[in-house]
Formats: sequence, C-alpha cells, structure tokens
Amino acid sequence: MAKDLIIDGIALESDPDKTLLEVARELGIHIPTLCFYKDLSPYAACRICVVEVIWRGKSRLRTACTYPAWEGEVKTDSQRVRKARKLILELMLAEAPEAVEIKEMAKEYGANPEKHNVHRIGNDNKCIACGLCVRICKERMNIGAIGFKNRGQEREITTPFDKLSDVCSTCGACSFVCPTDAIRFKYLSEKKVTPILSEFNKELIRRPVIYTPFPQAVPNVPVIDKEKCMHFLNKSCRICESVCESDAIRYQQEDEIIEEEVGAVVMATGYDLYDLKKLPEFGSGKLNDVVDGLTFERILSSSGPSSGKVFRPSDNKEPKTIVFIKCAGSRDPENHNAYCSKICCMYSTKHAMLYKHRVPDGKAYIFYMDVRTGGKRYEEFYQRAQEEEGVIYLRGKVSKLYNEDGKVVVSGVDTLLGRNIEIRADLVVLATSILPTAGTTDIANLVKTQIDENGFLNEAHPKMRPVESMSAGIYLSGCGHGPKDIPETVAQASAAANMVCKLFANEFLLHEPIITGVDLDVCSGCGVCVEVCPYNARELNEARGVVNVNKVLCEGCGACAVACVSGAARQNNYTDAQINEMVQALLV
Amino acid sequence: MGKINSISAFFDYKKNISDEANAFEKTVIISSGTCGKAGGSDAVVRRAKKILKEKGLSDKVNLKVSGCLGFCEQEPIMIINPQGIFYPKVKSENLEDIFNRSIIEKEFIQDYLYVDPVTKEQKNRKQNIQFYKKQKPVILAKNFNIDSNSINDYILNDGYSALAKVLKEMKPEDVIATIKESGLRGRGGGGFPTGKKWASSRKVKGTIKYVICNADEGDPGAYMDRSLLEGNPHSVLEGMLIGAYAIGSCHGYIYVRMEYPLAIEHFEKALNDARKKGFLGKNILNSGFDFDVRINRGGGAFVCGESTALMASIEGKPGEPRSKHVHTVEKGLWDKSSVLNNVETWTNVPLIINKGAKWYASIGTEKSKGTKIFSLVGKVNNTGLVEVPMGITLREIIYDIGGGIKDGKEFKAVQTGGPSGGCIPKELLDLPVDYESLTKAGSMMGSGGMIVMDEDNCMVDIARYFIDFLKNESCGKCTPCREGTAQMSGILENICNGKGKMEDLDKLEELAWITSETSLCQLGATSANPVLTTLQYFKNEYEAHILEKKCPAHVCTTLLKFEINPKTCTGCTLCSKNCPNDAISGNLKEVHLIDEKKCIKCGICYEVCKFDAIRR
Repeated sequence: MAKDLIIDGIALESDPDKTLLEVARELGIHIPTLCFYKDLSPYAACRICVVEVIWRGKSRLRTACTYPAWEGEVKTDSQRVRKARKLILELMLAEAPEAVEIKEMAKEYGANPEKHNVHRIGNDNKCIACGLCVRICKERMNIGAIGFKNRGQEREITTPFDKLSDVCSTCGACSFVCPTDAIRFKYLSEKKVTPILSEFNKELIRRPVIYTPFPQAVPNVPVIDKEKCMHFLNKSCRICESVCESDAIRYQQEDEIIEEEVGAVVMATGYDLYDLKKLPEFGSGKLNDVVDGLTFERILSSSGPSSGKVFRPSDNKEPKTIVFIKCAGSRDPENHNAYCSKICCMYSTKHAMLYKHRVPDGKAYIFYMDVRTGGKRYEEFYQRAQEEEGVIYLRGKVSKLYNEDGKVVVSGVDTLLGRNIEIRADLVVLATSILPTAGTTDIANLVKTQIDENGFLNEAHPKMRPVESMSAGIYLSGCGHGPKDIPETVAQASAAANMVCKLFANEFLLHEPIITGVDLDVCSGCGVCVEVCPYNARELNEARGVVNVNKVLCEGCGACAVACVSGAARQNNYTDAQINEMVQALLV
Repeated sequence: MGKINSISAFFDYKKNISDEANAFEKTVIISSGTCGKAGGSDAVVRRAKKILKEKGLSDKVNLKVSGCLGFCEQEPIMIINPQGIFYPKVKSENLEDIFNRSIIEKEFIQDYLYVDPVTKEQKNRKQNIQFYKKQKPVILAKNFNIDSNSINDYILNDGYSALAKVLKEMKPEDVIATIKESGLRGRGGGGFPTGKKWASSRKVKGTIKYVICNADEGDPGAYMDRSLLEGNPHSVLEGMLIGAYAIGSCHGYIYVRMEYPLAIEHFEKALNDARKKGFLGKNILNSGFDFDVRINRGGGAFVCGESTALMASIEGKPGEPRSKHVHTVEKGLWDKSSVLNNVETWTNVPLIINKGAKWYASIGTEKSKGTKIFSLVGKVNNTGLVEVPMGITLREIIYDIGGGIKDGKEFKAVQTGGPSGGCIPKELLDLPVDYESLTKAGSMMGSGGMIVMDEDNCMVDIARYFIDFLKNESCGKCTPCREGTAQMSGILENICNGKGKMEDLDKLEELAWITSETSLCQLGATSANPVLTTLQYFKNEYEAHILEKKCPAHVCTTLLKFEINPKTCTGCTLCSKNCPNDAISGNLKEVHLIDEKKCIKCGICYEVCKFDAIRR
C-alpha cells in the first residue's frame, strides 16, 4: 500500500475504517474535541475538531471525528483551522459564557469572549449542546432519560415533558461526560444524588465506583463496587472495559471462599472505634465538626483528602481552635467501656503537635483524665508537646458539646483549677474508645477460642502465654487481643510468627499429658460428651457404639468427664483414683 | 377490471379505456388543488356534478377534477374542451349559465373570460394568455388532462407506459444510461446528476436498498412539489418504480410534510389504485420485479428536507442531519444504500424514458437539462407555478410570464432558491436560470422558489426575514448553524432598528464564513446566502440603515418618521380621522401635526393623504 495520506507532513497509509481523529491521535497529534467521546457514536456537532482536508486540489474544513482517513493531505493546525476554531469558540462563549473549559480553550485560540451579544435564554450559561449526556444515557446506560427539546438556539437538554424523570437513576454518567459541568440533577430527577463516599478517607471525600480500597491494599489493584456499578445494576455501560488499554476488566469475577489446610492461625482481627452515636454528651455524631481520631488522621495525612491541609468537614475551612477529648467512651464503666484504650494519650498528643505544625497560629487543647505515657520516650514526647509546641492540656472531663454560630462549644471542667471551662472550638476530635472488630466473637467461636468480657480475644495465660490462645495452634496479635499501639502490635505479631515457626519446626507436636480418654468397656455411646466438648475433640464411632477422642484437639478441660453418666470419660493422668489418693495423702 | 398481469394485458387495458374515454363529446376540467380549494373549487365541483346529473349529460360530458393548473391566483379554473374555453375564478353560482351557454352550446361568455392585468384585454383560451405563452410545460402540462384521482386518466396520458417499456425491453443498466444521457439533475436544490446517483447505488452490493421521494417542501412560498403530488401523483410513483428497478430496490418511501393533507390523500389513493391494478406489489406486470411504497408524514421541521435528517426521521429518530462524508447512496436509510430524489426529479423520469434522453437533453443549457418549475410569487402581476426550460433568463420569467412588477413599480431584486438562496439584483436580470449561473451569482436553484421584490422591499429586512426563518428552523445540532444564525439575526435586527454599526458588517461576513465553512449540513452552510448576496448587491441599503439611520424602502418602522408638510397640507382632516392612535391633531383647514410619541408608524396617514402632504 502506498503512503497516500499525509497528516501535518507525516505520510502514512490511508485507512477508511478509521477516522482522521483516530489516526491523528495514534500519531500523537492533538486535535481538540468537545462533543466526542471514544465510546459513544460520533456526533460532529461542536465542530471544534475541524481540520483542513486537501483532496484533488480542493481544500475543505472537515470534522476529524467523523471524516474517514481517506487519501489526501490533512492539516490539523493551519491558519484556516485555527481561525475556524477561534470563531466557533466565540460562538460557544455566546451561549455558555461560564463554561470554564471553553474559556480555557478560547484563551489558547485567542477567541474574544465578548464578541457576540445574543445570548441563549433559559440556559444556565454552561451547556454547549454537545449531546454527550444524551448519548451516554441512551447508548451506554440503556436509560435514555434525557434528550433535547426545541430547535436552534433554544435547544436544551431536558427530560420528557420537562417533568422530573422516573427512569433517571442519577448514575451521574451525564455529569461525568459533560465537558462543561453543566448537568444539574435537580432538573432531571427527584432522586437525591448521593455521592459515593470514600470509606478509607472516612467519608470525607467521594470515591469513584472503580477504586483501590486503600493505598496499601493487597493486591494493590482497583475493584468495581458492584452495588453502584451501572453494569451490574442494569447490564449497561461497560465504558471501563473499552477504556482499559490492558484489557484487565473482568465483570464475571466473583467473591469466592478459599479453603486451605493450615497448621496454625494467627488472629489479627483488629479493632473498630466506638460509635459516635453512642456518645450523646458529645452530640451523638450529629455535629459535623466533631470527628473521631481516625478521621482526623485522614485529615492530617499528606495522602488524604486535602493532601494534608487541615480543614473541618462542615465548610472545609482551616480550624483555628481545636479541642481533643480523650477517653471518649473509655474508662467509664457506668456509661461506656470500663477499660483504657491505651493508645489515645499518645496519638492525641501526636495529632495536636501535627496540627500545630500545620497551623502555627492555631490553638490546640487536650482534655484528659490522666496522661498515660507508658512507653519508651513517650513521656518526653508528651513534655515536648506541652513545652515546645504549646499544646494546652486541661485535666477534666467535658460534659457537653453543641453547635453555636458555626462553632462547637466545648463545655467542661478544669479539675486542677476547680473551675468550669467553655471553649468555642472550630473542630473537636474525640479519642474514642477502641472496640474489638465486629464479628470477633463469631470468628472466635469458629476456631474454638475464648473471648474476654469486653469481646477481645483471650490469651492462654496473661503472663506466661500472652500470644497463645486457649486453643492449640491459634495465636494472637494486635488490637483483636486488646488495645495496643504499633510497637506493641509489631512485637506481639513477631512473637506469634515465631510461635508458629516453633510449632512447625518440631517433628512431633508436644502436648500436655492431661488429656481425656474413654473406657471402651464402659462407654455406651450415648454421645453426651461429644456435645459438651468445646474443642470438637470427641466423635461418636457409630459402628462400634463408642466415643473416640482426638488426642491433638483435646485440651484436657474435663467437661466430658463431668458430663459422662457412666463414668467412661475420664481424664488421663488425673483420674478420680489419683485425686482420691492425693486427698488421702494430704489427710494422712 | 382487476389486476393487470402482463405487459400485453396492459396495452389491451389501455385500448379499452381509451375507447371509453373517446365516447364523451366534451371534457370539462375544474382545477381543485389546494389553491383551487382555497378559491372555492369544492363547491364548484359539487355543483357541476349536480347539474350534469340534472341535465342528463353524464355520458356526454367527461368531468375531470384536476390538480393545480399553475395559475394559482386565478383558481379555480375551468377549461371546456375541445373548444378550449378558459374561465378563471369560477363561481358555483355561474355554473348553470356556463353549462347552458358554453357546454351545451359553444359560446365564449365575455363576463367570465380572463382579463390581462397589464393590457386589460380579454383572453378566451389558455394559449392566448401571456402567463402560459412563454412556458414550456412538459410536466405540469399533464395536470390539464388528468383527473388527479384517476389512474385511467394517467394511463391514457402515457402513464405507466414508461414502466412497461422499462420492464419489457430495458436492463437496469440501460435505464441508468438513459437517465445519465438525459442530463437530469436533482431538482431538490443540490443539482446532483441523477443518473450518477443511481449508478453509485447500483454498484453497492446488498439485497436491501431504498428509493425515497423527498416531498418535504418547506421553502416559504414554494409549492411545486405539492402541486405535482396533488395533480399527478402517479407520475411520481412511476418515476420511483423506474428508479427502484434501475438500482435494484424493492422498498420505497415518500416523506411528505403533514401540512400537505391533500397531497397525502391523493398519493395514498394513487398507491391503492396502483396496487389494485398491479403496478405495485409482487411481480409487477409479470416481470419478476417487486416494489412497494410507504408514506411517511413529516412533522413540520424544515431541516427534514435534508437527506440525512429525513432518513433519521423515517427511522423514528429526531430529524437531525448527520455527517455525510459517506454518501447516503452507500449508507443511507438504516445504513442501506438509498437513493433520495425530489418529487420533481422523480416526475421527470417517466418522461425521459418515454420521449428519450436525446429529446430531454435538447431542452435547456449545456449543463442544466430539461425544464424546471418555479413558483413565481411576490410583487409580480401573474403569480403561480411556471414551468420553463433551463437557461431562460430571469427577465423572461418575471416580465414575459409574470407580466412585470405590480402597480408599475420598480423591480429591485428576485430571491431564488428558498431561504438559503440569495437575492439577485436588477443588473443580473439577464442571467440564464441554471444551476451554475445562479450559484455563481451567490444564490442557488434550490427547489424553485422565486420571490420578486420591488422598490418597497427593504433588502436588510429581507435578509433579516430569511435569517430569522433559518434561525428558527436550525435543528440546533451543530454550533456554527445554531449560534451563527442567531448572532446574524441579532445583528440584522439591530441594523433594522437603527442600532447597527459599520463593524457589524465585518462581523456578518465573519459569521457567514464560519457558518458556510463548518456547518454540519447544507441548511447551515447556505444560511448566510441571503446576507452575503444582499451585502454584495445592496450594501448601500445597509449603509443607509447604519450611517443615516434611514430605511430607503420605508419598511423598517423604527427608522421611519412621519411628518406633515405644512406647504401641501390642506387641513382636510382625513389623516387625523384615520389615525388609529389619535396621534394627529389639527383643525379643519389648518395644518395638521403628528405627535411623534403617539405615532405607531402604521403608515395609514401616508396611504390616505390625497395631497402627498405626509413625508416619511
């Protein structure tokens, strides 16, 4: 094939199956577009992509988005092309003087935004009637909730009969594709547009339907939110599929249960924060500018919603007065949790210091019951916050938080001075209590291990076996076991890993000698012991009519021995006779 | 008789009905197209039928209700053959008299004859009337002999003989070659060679192709297509049949605007009759050729006359054009090869087959062959449809056929080609009317509208009117047309209101450039023609509006100022009596005064003053 198509001096083979725009983009030549979107039918309405096509001695302006890459010469940025684009932009600015994108383009082409003075009526000054929204709604979303009404300059995007649409699903595709941000949902649907909020960023900002759950996610790949994705909702869209150049989208992927046989389990179930709703004295979560520590952690994060610029959720303004309240839900056996959440003292100090670094003229107050700095160099850190960073520590409890004049009024008491305090804060951060992750109890039951009175996983022995659970092969680490800071968690996790290694390194499993057995001559196979065994160590051998004991699983608790009616279940090395002998020996 | 099953049966049938028709002693034609009906033809026809029955003349007199006979302002017209007595503006109360004296007897009744508006002479026959003399009606001519609802009348006037000829002895390629040789070009406006279009479609592979008749005639003041569909629907159908045979199509569509109910009614009847007789349907005249036509009614959008918008409309989508880089003969209706031609183009086809390509090519100029129907309207004495050979000059049409300008006023311009056409000035009156010459003059052939303007027409106002029309009819899809026409309209509005500036003229030219260079379809691309031609030929009028704040033709009311000349005012009080807003004061025999604040510039005082004392 001859190289019969010349684009801006580059010669290549003509290809009638492609458009000039496609060919130019492959060559890296930029042609501006507005009404074009790769996955929608070409419309050729905005005319901004016009290029000069010279064929058989005639030069004409043609839209690159629709013109086939036939033979001929093409100039994508000639004087004539630039003049046409300039004049078109001037016309667009007459109908959409507030469209930012058009204004930017106008600057590039030297278009005069005030040239024309006949303006469109009934328009919000942004829409350029490119029809992308109409096409994506119909072609991709299979909905067709919107269309054009009227002709000529009165052309407008609307719903049928100008009535709020009952088919519009407020999926937002129209808004996504609109080049000038002209879509106003309130004219389209009654449904409230609920943006999808980022769970990882504590709902401070939106996230797309396709997203990476958090930066360190394993595996670190995006996922599709099936509950929001239009493809899963009405079998439409599939735009991501055509946009992805690696062909990596798999709609048919499903969540699956993976079964593995393992020799040990490390329980690192983590923690939740105490729900703000359960703290009526602190506004029950209804005050916008009262947040928990984790939310403030995201606000401070340089990879967070504002790239580290401190702001408050209600108006995104920088808070000038900030109050930290510790023990929110902790150390309060009457109303909330009795235990100490342990990490709050240090992280609140850290938060206050970071805040002071970001907002040097801001004021940071910390309300505390005690300051617990049990850890290497923790006390020095706390001293530094007070002395060098100017964080103000107030010993006392806060009784009430409420909104007034855009501020959060913190009403508390300073028990050292013995007087009431009222601070009008811009933002309040509650160091809410740490809870075991919801579902910890379920998972503990699953692996037959114990939880404590607060729902945390229980260790086998508080001093001697702090990383082992009561069940053999089940190890503990992190806040699932109880409130812990990072160094402690790392230490415990390392220890747990080491315990696993120790377990696997032996040729044989060592077991306490006190386990249970069955006197097969006496056992009637009634099965009572099977039911009472908490470790699933007993099973009924129906063929022989007796119960068998799994010696590895049995922890020797003795429940079976107590329950056994016939006395067939007994504890090895701890038989009744042995105990009797021991008692006798004591008495004699 | 039912279906005609073969070509020989067709000729037998024709002979039979010919004998029947020859049995009549006299033929009376009453024109009853839309223009005729507006003149009261329905009552005339009813009365005529009643009188025929009463007088027992039904087997002696053949009464035909025809379509428009071209001379629209004189309708309803009655022609009595074989004498050729021509009565314009027939009234039902005179029918008794006409029957007694002109049909039973052979008298030309002086009272009812046509009077030439210029010479005031009485004319008794059609061929003596100035309006008809210079015309060369080959298409419209049939309207004079055909009852528009009678398929037999059509057959007797060479109807379906072209189809029979084609099916009997011509291969599709022969048909295309004949059309090519005839030099027929599209009558819808573009002037694309019809034969070439058909040949391109013939080449496209595929079993499904469409022929489409564009009857979405939307130009203001143009009604050639309507008259053809109303008066001679079978000729359009026969043209489509031949076209379908040539390209290998078996589906046809006709897109008629809803505003043409009579045309739709007549065409529907024609379709049913043709189906009954076997000219439509399966295995037409036992030739193995199948074809049928569906009627699609347009919803009144001017842009649907554009081929792709029309096809989108047939497909049930909004009537908006799309890019035509790939022609509709390759990918048209439902992405299939489609041949779309205008009503007049289709009507020409059977004529060419019957009379031969050479005969057709002998009419007209080198590049524009055949005849063209124009609707001659505006400030001429004779308005109506005129069919003339291509190449005739504008002067001949306006002065010889149109009888010159009304009331002896001065000719100023003629607007051709519909709203997207241009205004042609006096200096170019000797311009031959063909595709190339009109385009060169900045206008175009269009579908054949021809609006004559005299000294009382303001050319800026005319430009504003047409741009306004296009602004309202722009579908609004592409930016240059949607916004460009609106901006041009705004500027012209300003100029007409005396708020124009000289730089507005540059702006107009710039807008004209961008709309013509970058618009999506021809509506936008040609929208600037009225502006450009008036700017080219009548720039002085623009300047008068802008610089002197005056409208030379006294049309733009904001620029008008009525004054009373105290020297000539006799104080007759006529003006103050007629003033609708009591703006004129003055006692009898004293000079009157116009209160400028109250004056609504209606111009009544100017009209009524007998002493030319009102100045404007």
